[in-house]
Amino acid sequence: MGRDSILKAIKQHKPDLLPLPEIDGARFDDDVNLLDIFKHNVTLVGGSIKEIDKTLIDQEIKKQFPDAKSIVALAEASSLGTISVNKQTNPHDLATIDLAIVNGAFGVAENGAVWISEKESIVRVLPFITNDLVVILSKEQLYLHMLNAYDAISTRDRSFGVFISGPSKTADIEQCLVIGAQGAMSLTILLV
Amino acid sequence: MSHAEKATIFNKNEAKVNWHDKALWYVREKRDNAAHNVKEWEYLRDLASAIKANVLSDLDTYLVEFEANALKNGIKIHWASDAEEHNAIIGKILDDNNAEKVVKSKSMLTEECHLNPYLEAKGIEVVDTDLGEYIVQIAKETPSHIVLPAIHKTKEEVDELFQEHLGTKPSNGNPEYLTNEARKHLRGKFLKADVAITGVNFAIADTGGIVVCTNEGNADMGSHLANVHIASMGIEKIIPKEAHLGIFLRLLARSATGQPITTYSSHFNKPAEGKEMHIVIVDNGRTEQLSREDFRASLHCIRCGACMNTCPIYRRSGGHSYEATIPGPIGSILSPGKDLTKHSSLPFASTLCGSCSNVCPVKINIHEQLYKWRQIIVKDVKQPIVKKSILKIAGSVLAKPKLYDFAGKSARFMLKYTPRFMIYSKLNAWGKARELPEIKNENFDQWYKINRKK
Repeated sequence: MGRDSILKAIKQHKPDLLPLPEIDGARFDDDVNLLDIFKHNVTLVGGSIKEIDKTLIDQEIKKQFPDAKSIVALAEASSLGTISVNKQTNPHDLATIDLAIVNGAFGVAENGAVWISEKESIVRVLPFITNDLVVILSKEQLYLHMLNAYDAISTRDRSFGVFISGPSKTADIEQCLVIGAQGAMSLTILLV
Repeated sequence: MSHAEKATIFNKNEAKVNWHDKALWYVREKRDNAAHNVKEWEYLRDLASAIKANVLSDLDTYLVEFEANALKNGIKIHWASDAEEHNAIIGKILDDNNAEKVVKSKSMLTEECHLNPYLEAKGIEVVDTDLGEYIVQIAKETPSHIVLPAIHKTKEEVDELFQEHLGTKPSNGNPEYLTNEARKHLRGKFLKADVAITGVNFAIADTGGIVVCTNEGNADMGSHLANVHIASMGIEKIIPKEAHLGIFLRLLARSATGQPITTYSSHFNKPAEGKEMHIVIVDNGRTEQLSREDFRASLHCIRCGACMNTCPIYRRSGGHSYEATIPGPIGSILSPGKDLTKHSSLPFASTLCGSCSNVCPVKINIHEQLYKWRQIIVKDVKQPIVKKSILKIAGSVLAKPKLYDFAGKSARFMLKYTPRFMIYSKLNAWGKARELPEIKNENFDQWYKINRKK
């Protein structure tokens, strides 16, 4: 069978043990303004970002998405939800969602990504299948780079989680960048 | 057909070759900008390379650790020695689930195993959902680049394909319109799929989880909607710890397209409630490559495609000229290990300039391995008689300084006084599509002696 023969072949052919390198994380430290870099990179990857007062969130979303009707709002800061979801929701039922509003666990300054796990999205497909995605994120919750980010999620309950950096995109037709491929057409981050 | 012969065909359309060359160089420039913006980029490359070297030196232990952790989390693990076993395992999972419709996201491994024709022969509908892969699928072609599968197609060609297959209106190749039409079409496929098949970018030993990276979101649309998710991975995709993703994800997208990270980096650790998740771990020649000391490091590859974008040969010959699942410099050191005779021209599709090694995020010594494959190939595979005799003559001339000096003088004399039609004839490949340099009377040695005195 495959398993034993593969493992046997590896044992036979692998070189002498080479050490796993120690990672000197301090070398990546940088005394920079996380908020500025995060904002810059969210824009760079095609997202939009706005610092906003918590009480004005719904007003802002209504202004930006006046036509959205089927809305899933999982962030407690928004009361715009028209459809409720739970763990038992059939993901196919979300096919016609216009807008999803979710909390982001934290952001990563170096690449504009936000971490969204099943805890925040409840249904895994939600941040992908929704037409537009709004992420509410605390500006206190920013890390410089991915090594810091993995430290932050090292003790989580692991099921599914995703770093999302901007809206879905493709450049597969003659290298022309088109925003809105198979996932969400837009990503808006509201910083509170 | 040899690489050079296939490249000649690609070069018949000069405008397209020029576009291909420039488009890929632009991606290389974006890679440079992205890399230069990262503090300690070279340290990241060193770490990534050392982690991969450690992985290969203890691969069996890591695979067993990965398996145990994945099983604990309810993921089903399968092992396949070769392409045939891989396809049969997937075929059986589909049968067990009475699956008829499959959506796939990008996986070079399933290309390598020729999974699509296998499934289609079983009467299963397979749809590639990465836009570039979808384009090459309906064109009945293979990807010509591992990150940009349809880079060889013009937008007008895509327009025609979509008119035929999706019933779109003629749009002169409007990328927004065409992408949106594909989005609508693929939505239907995602919603009806029974099974989603994805590749694996990284498999993490200490958690038993996998990470899949896409820009389009197609891997997630497929895997979160279908009841069954199958992920195929080569044995070398293992990394020891989840924390190491902090190294690899910083390198991958920057090296590939110049983005700071892909749009989606999805971490799968458990199947969703009521759903199934399978991982197929595949050898298919990798343990053999592991046994070759000189070529082992080719298994470090994280499939970013940077070596293709930077390669002067790849950019001007196109991915299809390599006739291999993985084209370009990395493909040229992987493929001879699978079939030395079939791929014997690939290690020669290089100027040995070393640019591939310079951009490789995991520091594979690609150009040195190309050179080493050449040593093996000239011994084991029959070489053309012209090449053999020319190299023999060149060898003896270069070994004798006086003869070399005489040959240089004669060549300068000939180039100066031979009629143009003879110099730019079929016999002189160096005169094809370029002007030879103007001839001076002295060689460098003489020039240096004269000028040193000044």
